[in-house]
Amino acid sequence: MALLGQYLVNGIMLGTIYALVAVGFTLFFGVLDVIKFSHGDVLMVGAFAGFTAAMAVAAVGISNPVLQLAASVVFALSVTAALGAAIAKWLILPLKHAPRMNILLVTLMLGTALREAVRLFYPDGSNPKAFPALLPTSALTLGDFTLRADSAILVAAGISVIVGLHLLINRTRLGLAIRAVAQDEETARTMGINYALVVLVTFALGSGIAAVAGVMNGLYYNEVNFGMGLLLGLIGFSAAIIGGLGNLYGAILGGFLFAMLQMLGAVAMPFASAYKDVFAFAVVIALMAWKPTGLIPERASERV
Amino acid sequence: MNQLFSRMPPLAAAALAALLAFVFAVVFMEQESDVAVISLLALGAVAAWGAGRVGLSRRVSAAAATRPGAVAALGGAVALGLLAVFAEDHFPLLMLSTVMLYATVALGLNVQFGYTGVVNFAGAAFFGIGAYTAAELVGRTALPPILVLPLGGLIAAVVGLVLVVPVVRTRGHYAAVVTIAFSVLFKTFLEVNDTLGGPQGLSVAPLSLFGWSFGEGPEILGISASFYLNYALAALAVLALAFVMVRRLERSWIGLSLDAVRLDETASACYGIGIRRSKILAFVVGNLVIGTAGALYGSMLGYIAPTSFTFSDSLILVAIVLLGGMGSPWGTVFAAAIVVILPEKLQAIQEYRFLLFSVVVMAILLFRPEGLLPRAVRRYMPAPKEVAR
Amino acid sequence: MMQVETALALDTLGLPITPERLLDIQGLAKSFGGVRALNDVSFSLGRGEILGLIGPNGSGKTTSFNVLTGLYRPDGGKILFDGADITGNSPQAVYRAGIARTFQRSRLCLELSIFDNIMVGNHARLNHGLMFNLFQRKAFRLEVESALAEATELAASFSPNLAAAMFEPVGALPMIERRRIEICRALISRPKLLLLDEPSAGMTHDETHQLMDDILAVRERQGGLSIIIIEHEMGVIERVSDHCVVLNYGEKIAEGSYQDIASDRLVQEAYLGSEVGR
Ligand SMILES: Nc1ncnc2c1ncn2[C@@H]1O[C@H](COP(=O)(O)OP(=O)(O)O)[C@@H](O)[C@H]1O
Ligand SMILES: [Mg+2]
Repeated sequence: MALLGQYLVNGIMLGTIYALVAVGFTLFFGVLDVIKFSHGDVLMVGAFAGFTAAMAVAAVGISNPVLQLAASVVFALSVTAALGAAIAKWLILPLKHAPRMNILLVTLMLGTALREAVRLFYPDGSNPKAFPALLPTSALTLGDFTLRADSAILVAAGISVIVGLHLLINRTRLGLAIRAVAQDEETARTMGINYALVVLVTFALGSGIAAVAGVMNGLYYNEVNFGMGLLLGLIGFSAAIIGGLGNLYGAILGGFLFAMLQMLGAVAMPFASAYKDVFAFAVVIALMAWKPTGLIPERASERV
Repeated sequence: MNQLFSRMPPLAAAALAALLAFVFAVVFMEQESDVAVISLLALGAVAAWGAGRVGLSRRVSAAAATRPGAVAALGGAVALGLLAVFAEDHFPLLMLSTVMLYATVALGLNVQFGYTGVVNFAGAAFFGIGAYTAAELVGRTALPPILVLPLGGLIAAVVGLVLVVPVVRTRGHYAAVVTIAFSVLFKTFLEVNDTLGGPQGLSVAPLSLFGWSFGEGPEILGISASFYLNYALAALAVLALAFVMVRRLERSWIGLSLDAVRLDETASACYGIGIRRSKILAFVVGNLVIGTAGALYGSMLGYIAPTSFTFSDSLILVAIVLLGGMGSPWGTVFAAAIVVILPEKLQAIQEYRFLLFSVVVMAILLFRPEGLLPRAVRRYMPAPKEVAR
Repeated sequence: MMQVETALALDTLGLPITPERLLDIQGLAKSFGGVRALNDVSFSLGRGEILGLIGPNGSGKTTSFNVLTGLYRPDGGKILFDGADITGNSPQAVYRAGIARTFQRSRLCLELSIFDNIMVGNHARLNHGLMFNLFQRKAFRLEVESALAEATELAASFSPNLAAAMFEPVGALPMIERRRIEICRALISRPKLLLLDEPSAGMTHDETHQLMDDILAVRERQGGLSIIIIEHEMGVIERVSDHCVVLNYGEKIAEGSYQDIASDRLVQEAYLGSEVGR
């Protein structure tokens, strides 16, 4: 029973991280109808940026974990936001009228380039880095079941980011502009919206959220490594697809669903827990066979 | 100046180009120092540019259009010549064989997404399925390679059938995620599966054909060749077969249907082309080719591990297709040579190869999406001579 | 609700479909979300007849082609073609039954040659066997040669420039030539029914005139081809159509000869204030 509770907490934790990644995919798809496959690796860059900032702050003698954490998050956010906007400006917008496949390929290759760049050029980048434990580790114990404070804080932080995004999209002028562009580029332009700017901001926003997920992931596993983005990106994308691309709430749902799937795999097959990722991806493939455009279908059928 | 070669018969121009390529390749392969390699690369680039300026390239293209068979034979002759020159040396032979097998794989991928638009980011996984099949078959049975190789292809195609439904029903990025997921799944599976050697991998017994083991170097005309010569010859045979078949496929009504499916599914359907049938055909044929090459690759290396068949390797294979030019068989072979040989010759970039090629492909996509040797317009039969003028 | 239809199909009045009637559309309906693109549309077409399908923008003309060719599944109604029920058939089956179409927004494969594009339309008459295509290259070559001769002749009847450039990529050609290629692609398989969706969009008056003459000449040669043409230029409709159907908001509002519908009050109202229909 306690074990099940532990699984549940883990599932919620992972689900929050996955949802944050999936939300990025959905935002990009919304405004540009493109998939940015480098998203996971942008997340990894964010995690490394956060790690670097935490280390740098510690190196100048500040050992207050709150300050370290703040520096870590702020730096990670700014690096990835800039990176996301740059990707949109120099790689994705120029290819807007090329075959869709080319955008897919260019972002896949960019993902590899980021991954390799960190592996090769970050000091000792090919080895995993121990992310400092910046959150309190005290725990609440109920019988066999323990709820650690850091897990609770991470989940709360993730959920507040999601709520914040929801408010941003639905309550602000920026959100209105993003929704307008997502609806219809031409109409948005005639409404006087600066299309290119909205696209750049959206990419910055989605990438920044990925950085939060990256830092959360680092705090949760106490580790960052150059390959972490590939799997997280793939999971986030699968989650976005499960929820129907372009649907923000679908993406969040998809993230939690995927985490549950992994937990289910681990619970149902304890003898073969090594196969839990194999199981999760097999389910994704099966799902695509069943619903080729996700559980919530894509917007309109093609006009002829 | 511009007209220097414009009177030359196309086939003579092609033969001259083949000879130049052969000499260049021999000299290039023998260089050891980074400086020499880089100088030769620069020389090659200048020569290629010069060949365009003096009209040689156009004559060669004309030869490829009017006498495709003869030009393919010239290509085969260059390859055989290289194998003969390096018959005694392990390393160059291993490199040449790898080029030929990667080129074969990229030809298979070309059928899938160069022609049909069915993306496959699990190329290395199907390559690996071929290799693991060979490992299991060669060790446990006495099947001759003539059977082991196609069985590798067959198993790859059969495993690929698992993906057929999602691949055929999805399009674009949805299809991409299916194959990416499979790519990651495959490697994870290999790592956790003990019967397939887990992360350490498996050793593969050498192939043998009627008692003649590929593991021993043959004696030819008094010289004792490297045992890799066996594999290099087999790789050349596999590549030649794949090349001829892929060209025939492209220059046929089936090839036309595949192109039409890639370019416009709606219009294709309105003109009777079976979308699913075309995609299944392309996916299965492509995996067959890839798996066959994988079986030979596995037995040649003698040792295989999950790390050779990762998602990054799949991307390298895709990079070959894009670099050469989508749907361009000659471009594919050329690009395979660049992608395989360059990191081996330039030790300085060996470590950086994934980074280098991903950046190169990004540049290609942004600035020259048609690739290095762009695909020519389809001619179903050799073009009439007038085209050569 | 739906009877099995074979050669003895019955029309809406319960009368057997006479062999002179090639196409019978009965009560066709199609909605997209809340938009009723087609609402209870019925009309029929005789063999060798040319029908003008007109109506303001968004009135459901293209949608009726899309439903007819199997791209969209109708929500209701029946399509009888050449004595068989083809309602809900796949686009491929509709093409094999003898219906070929062009698209309002040109849909050629721009990277492929003129010959390739025309051959896409010839799918039904080409041998797609794996053995034939890969291993019987001599026989394949003969088929290519005869197909090339036929396609060149067809292209020449629209434009000598096309016939001279059969192996040039389509993407390099001007819009008018592309329109002609699209029509060649539809005609090459000698369909029984040709569906033309605004074939003259973007052409000048003279070019449109020429194009229609060329189509009629090919029709003459092929003998008895039936055509449904969607066209905004009323001069064209007046000249070529035997009979017209007018749609508005997805409903048929008038039917008859061009003179009949031109003087119809409902039709005039439908066009009033809309920029089309000069
Ligand atoms: N694939 C589709 N999805 C949603 N609405 C569509 C689709 N195709 C057509 N429509 C709608 O159906 C109506 C009729 O369109 P259409 O048949 O293209 O008109 P026409 O060809 O007469 O100009 C329009 O309101 C159009 O917006
Ligand atoms: Mg229309």
